[in-house]
Amino acid sequence: MNATYTLIEMKRITRDYMGMFFTAVLPAFFYVIFGSTVDAKGTVIGNGNVAMYVMISMAAYGAVTATTSIGGQAATERLQGWGRQLGITPMKDSQYVAAKAAIAMVVAAIPILLIYVLGVWTGARGSMSAWLLSGLLCLGGSAVFALYGILVGTAFRSESATGVASGSVVIFAFLGNVFIPLSGTMLTIGKFTPLYGYVGLARYPLTEGHLADGTWEPLWMPLANVLGWTALFAMLATWFVKRGRDRQ
Amino acid sequence: MNTDVAPAIQLRDLVKTFPGRGEAVVRAVDGINLTINPGEIVAFLGPNGAGKTTTLDVILGLTEPTSGTVRVLGQAPRQAILAGRVSAVLQTGGLLRDVTVRETLRMIASTYAAHTPLDEVIDRAGLGPIVDRRVSKCSGGEQQRLRFALALLPDPDLLILDEPTAGMDVTARHEFWETMRADANSGRTVLFATHYLEEADSFADRIVLVAGGHLVADGTTAQIRSRTTGGRQLTARIPDDRWDLVRARLLEAPGVIDVTQRGDRLVVAASDSDAIALLLLTELGGTDLEVSAASLDRAFMALTADDRGSELSGIPHLPERNHAARELVR
Repeated sequence: MNATYTLIEMKRITRDYMGMFFTAVLPAFFYVIFGSTVDAKGTVIGNGNVAMYVMISMAAYGAVTATTSIGGQAATERLQGWGRQLGITPMKDSQYVAAKAAIAMVVAAIPILLIYVLGVWTGARGSMSAWLLSGLLCLGGSAVFALYGILVGTAFRSESATGVASGSVVIFAFLGNVFIPLSGTMLTIGKFTPLYGYVGLARYPLTEGHLADGTWEPLWMPLANVLGWTALFAMLATWFVKRGRDRQ
Repeated sequence: MNTDVAPAIQLRDLVKTFPGRGEAVVRAVDGINLTINPGEIVAFLGPNGAGKTTTLDVILGLTEPTSGTVRVLGQAPRQAILAGRVSAVLQTGGLLRDVTVRETLRMIASTYAAHTPLDEVIDRAGLGPIVDRRVSKCSGGEQQRLRFALALLPDPDLLILDEPTAGMDVTARHEFWETMRADANSGRTVLFATHYLEEADSFADRIVLVAGGHLVADGTTAQIRSRTTGGRQLTARIPDDRWDLVRARLLEAPGVIDVTQRGDRLVVAASDSDAIALLLLTELGGTDLEVSAASLDRAFMALTADDRGSELSGIPHLPERNHAARELVR
């Protein structure tokens, strides 16, 4: 791991105020609006309450926004020539990936920590293990979307990739039962969309599989969703990266 | 293993192809043989699409050759990069816009096990006044000096520059080469790609001309100038109705290398300029004759024009022209 390189990259991210706003401040704001101020916030769900349910959802959304944008940025900067610049240094691809992965995890942790602290403060309640496990699942699962960012960044090959990536994450969040609880046909469709499994897993320590529409689902369902999308993202990202290399 | 005596660059039958549209294959580099010895300053000259960047990419290990071999300082390209013995100033683009000049230097420096102290590099590339400026706020010339500074970090034995002044205005170009010149006495081997003849002429000891993926000439500036067009260029005004006749007659004359038309003037490249001048002024009825030393530009155009291009411009003496070119390929 190249510490100097990673630290400068880190500094670069924190200087990007707009990016920070969308990854950390906006999801925190969503939590305050939809989680901590609603009447039902104290209603018990599984091992905690509604406020905690919304808190986990928004933390997951923020973390995914962060990793998607880091992945997208990595892809675009490499395609726009920084990859060639690094290609003539002794730095290995694996070192670059390690640096970016470390950054993605640190940046994804920012909205999670911020929203969880707000949660403690505004009435999110749950068991200790629910707090801890959901936080770790938010962080770990968000890594999958770094692949999605790379895929979008490589496919679109320009600055517009960032917009496409973050815009599509919002759509996935609606479809994936993240922002508003879905039911009926929408929920059935939603179960096949990329964010459904991730947010379902992150909430599992709290809900133990109970959904907002009163139904229950076993752990393998969100897990299968995550594994399926991870495989697809990895495959497509590899294909786009390879196509990009062949064209150079 | 003594690598000090190895050539700085050695290319053998280098071929690099890319998939083109449909079934077509683009031969970007089509059989280049080249040896560059330590300490040489060589210009890699050719029009756009000649295969310059592709060849340099192979030398830098950024791409694998389709066939043929590459040795850089006696090593495989990537090994030479890992050892910090070769570095490059790449074409425009490729810097992170939202970091500062110093941060860019620190990032690239961190990839080397050992590197020249940053302050020394900053000083040599003249980056002192802009070191804390963001890259996005730097002019094209300043960004190119930053790329040069990055290339100096490993203190390389071989420095490669890929069209380092493309897109710069005249002043920035001049400044860039001044910076380069100040560094040139360090004894390192320099290979730079350019399509500016004046740069090749003023900075290089040796010029390697490439066109269409082939090496078409290799020699000193003077050699290329004198041996490709036979030394003299004659232009004259010719009566409109006599063009075809005059052209046919000139092409039969001894020592004529090519005949072209520029506006209402006939342009002849010839080795025996006195005889051709006499012929033009008497028998052929030419007026307003001018005789000049063939320019490097003409040599360049004659050598790098592809076959179709030369037919269109009315140069029927392809065998002879190629013969002159071939003589220069050693």
